[in-house]
Amino acid sequence: MTATENPTNYKWIGTRPIRHDGFDKVVGKARFAADLNLPGQLHGSIVRSPHAHAKVVSIDTSAAEAMPGVKAVVTGDDFPALDPTHPNFDTAVNCMARGEVFYNGHAIAAVTATTREEAKAAAAAIEVEYELLPAILSIADSMAEGAPLANSNNYTRFVPPGDPSNLATVTNLDRGDVDQAMADADVVVEMGFDCAHVHQGYIEPHACVVDSGDGKANVWCSSQGHFRVRSMTADVLGVENSKVKVTPAEIGGGFGGKTTIYLEPIAAKLSEKSGRPVKLVMSREEVLRASGPAPSAELRIKVGATNDGELTAIDGWMAYGVGAFGDMAGLIGAMSVASYKFPNLRMETYTALTNTPKSAAYRAPSAPHAAWAIESVVDEIASELGMDPIDLRLKNAAVEGDLTAMGMPHPKVGLVECLEAMKASGHYQSEPVEGASRGMAVGFWFNIGEESSATVNLNEDGTANVITGSPDIGGSRASMALMAAETLGIDVYSITPIVADTESVGFTDVTEGSRATFATGKAVVEACEDLIGQLKARAATIMGVEVDEVAWVDGAAVSPGHGGGESGEPLTLAQITAQAKRTGGPLTATASLNAAGAGPSFAVHCADLKVDEETGETEIVRYTAVQDAGTAIHPSYVEGQMQGGSVQGIGWALNEEYIYDANGAMENASFLDYRIPVASDLPLIETIIVEVPNPAHPYGVRGVGETGIVPPMATIGNAIKAATGVRMTSLPMSPPKVLKKLNER
Amino acid sequence: MSQHRAFTGGEAVVRANGATVGQVINDLEANYPGLGSALRAGSSAGIGGEIHAEPEYLKVASDTEIYFLAPVVGG
Amino acid sequence: MSADSTSLLDALRDELGLIGTKEGCGTGDCGSCSVLFDGKLNCSCLILAPEAEGREIVTVEGIADGDQLHPLQQTFLEGAALQCGVCTPGFLVAAKALLDENPDPTETEIRYGLAGNLCRCTGYDKIVRAVQEAAVQLKTTSEQGA
Ligand code: FES
Ligand code: FES
Repeated sequence: MTATENPTNYKWIGTRPIRHDGFDKVVGKARFAADLNLPGQLHGSIVRSPHAHAKVVSIDTSAAEAMPGVKAVVTGDDFPALDPTHPNFDTAVNCMARGEVFYNGHAIAAVTATTREEAKAAAAAIEVEYELLPAILSIADSMAEGAPLANSNNYTRFVPPGDPSNLATVTNLDRGDVDQAMADADVVVEMGFDCAHVHQGYIEPHACVVDSGDGKANVWCSSQGHFRVRSMTADVLGVENSKVKVTPAEIGGGFGGKTTIYLEPIAAKLSEKSGRPVKLVMSREEVLRASGPAPSAELRIKVGATNDGELTAIDGWMAYGVGAFGDMAGLIGAMSVASYKFPNLRMETYTALTNTPKSAAYRAPSAPHAAWAIESVVDEIASELGMDPIDLRLKNAAVEGDLTAMGMPHPKVGLVECLEAMKASGHYQSEPVEGASRGMAVGFWFNIGEESSATVNLNEDGTANVITGSPDIGGSRASMALMAAETLGIDVYSITPIVADTESVGFTDVTEGSRATFATGKAVVEACEDLIGQLKARAATIMGVEVDEVAWVDGAAVSPGHGGGESGEPLTLAQITAQAKRTGGPLTATASLNAAGAGPSFAVHCADLKVDEETGETEIVRYTAVQDAGTAIHPSYVEGQMQGGSVQGIGWALNEEYIYDANGAMENASFLDYRIPVASDLPLIETIIVEVPNPAHPYGVRGVGETGIVPPMATIGNAIKAATGVRMTSLPMSPPKVLKKLNER
Repeated sequence: MSQHRAFTGGEAVVRANGATVGQVINDLEANYPGLGSALRAGSSAGIGGEIHAEPEYLKVASDTEIYFLAPVVGG
Repeated sequence: MSADSTSLLDALRDELGLIGTKEGCGTGDCGSCSVLFDGKLNCSCLILAPEAEGREIVTVEGIADGDQLHPLQQTFLEGAALQCGVCTPGFLVAAKALLDENPDPTETEIRYGLAGNLCRCTGYDKIVRAVQEAAVQLKTTSEQGA
């Protein structure tokens, strides 16, 4: 369902063709990272720290090396020591510890052997002697006066040089006079919140195969960006980028968690030492213990408002716990405060180091935490004022020109349109089902541009290959094909979209920040436009007319004598490509760009739910997600992003959390105990796509991948408040926590 | 750019000269030592509502407002 | 050929090259490795390869009828019920088991029937709808055939 129809009439954009890579995926032929095997391949296994923070006194690999089938062992000593100021210093240390381990699960050594079982047995035989160091396990511990350092290589960024610190960023944003505005406000609500670490939870564990023969590391892996895998792997190995080639496998989910590397340099080293290809696959336990969770957070939010519902001031304190390495979570969290006008604003935020797994991006990183707290407080204000929560938000919603927290004016954005679409929806217009209560909330994400390349080759038969470097994590190949079909004017199924390796297409940044359809799509459109120029020139030659007499209409060249006047037929793209050899050779075009003007995307969610007062269990009975897509290229996959993001947010809201023991060991490192939502936990997720086109993209695309995870926590918290009268302030809102609050009522 | 106040004596808005963003950063560095490298170490620039990554050579007209932001990432 | 401790999942993938069956956890918690074991839905990561001796095992590779996709495969494609697609083989096998048993399931029965399979991309909405659509199509064909 589309609320505001895009005014432009497109032929292909907005249709729902079967995706080009779909067939292979439903018959079991698609090759994901763990599906590739090379002749002579060995298997690897990684030794991981059982301690949250320790000095490594010694590593004895001799017993392991003598075991059957073992071909090579590596430790931190096998990798060059990067300068601490190197941008990939932390990544290198996270891949393989050197002299000090920073979290339980940190890789400390690795072994490769003929079989998986042999590799595992040998890994267990590696003896490591540790000397325990004080471990920082919470944000409060990290920020405490005189706290020991979680990582003595960390310095606070963006400030004048100082001593090592547990804080990676300290951010103060402000405008107006917050203290005066709070004093003048008719209503002030202040509350504190906290969130546990949660995992991206992609179903495909990290995996790779690396063959380091001939002085070059050939890497096959799944990632959100194989060019970044190339540069990071090269840096960790201490070689030039050109000494690493990365071929992307199909990726089984990433959500931000596959924007960095864990295994590739280790497999490369093992391969180099053994002279054989090496395969490394993480177990689910390793995925949870050693790959990126989203940060934990502690937040305190105070909002002031007038009696008629103007939100006059926000005063916020937010700290994000990110693991033991530098990160900008706190800074990004501050910047994500952008939904309301707030004439007076003060945000004080911190990125705090902890001896827990190094956090990685997770869908709209840092924004869900902040939105959870702020949207909960805004909900309290609406009920204190007796206002409809959508009306309160409509009154304060940011529009073009309003300032985000960092002080920059918004470009054209669609928050008002999303709020209005939700207000008019069948869901919001009807009463909650019997026994259920309702909550709603808003979410924002910037989206990003960055570098992309695309090559489009026209084939002799009039078909086209669209080659990009953006791994397809949610149907982006279909989107590329649709944009190419629209621009060239040919059938979407005559286009073959391809994700090429690092040596077959121009540099392309990671598929993150909802950027693939925006930035890579823009490159595809530019390459197609270049081809149209070439096609017109070829047509002019064939027709015997001047090129400026030729127009491109519906996939064919038209000139006065060829379909443009009363006489003749247009020359189709296929007729032109068939004569390519006679008119100058193959038709091919490449476009590369560093895209500016990514369009922010707002979302509004609404949930009806029931709380079982006996058990504290929450059952969601109806859920609707509204989001501004700019333009929905393939509406099914836009809906899919909205639904997937919503359900990840629902899991975050209700169940998911890292549980650590007193020594920082994760106690629930399995899908049994780290419980992500299953089909029977959920209702259908209704979607409404709003289209406020982004002027910076040829077809108006904003990114849609991320915003959907931002509103669910507050949406659900607000509905629980409506159902029970209790305000949940700690994530997840799991049955025991809800029950506890109910009992305190 | 209020997150860079540690360099500017508390000012959130400062004036600087230059025909490109890079020149503006050089001018800021001259007046506020350390600020230039902090900006180059990690920032994108928001100009006219558009965010530009690595804007070193981006041309700017006089009286342009540049917002130095953290390099926004994504998931 | 497989060692006694080899799982059916590893035997399928490594020895028979049937890579359609995926490993998401190895502990029976995600359903990516779903197969039909004598017609019954099972996690192949929990079965030892020797136990499969003489049994009928159906994997995702065996769901289509030659070139003719199974209605579930077709409705998954048409309904965009896959995003990354790594869970898809497991869901197709589980959904086939469900419809073989119960050709006319309610939405709730579908949701409980698929509750052993994790998908992190779709939020399950389009998967449930694709199974509903396939059930309708299968019923129409079987009624026409009858
Ligand atoms: S791999 Fe068998 S259930 Fe997850
Ligand atoms: S489609 Fe990715 S896990 Fe289901």
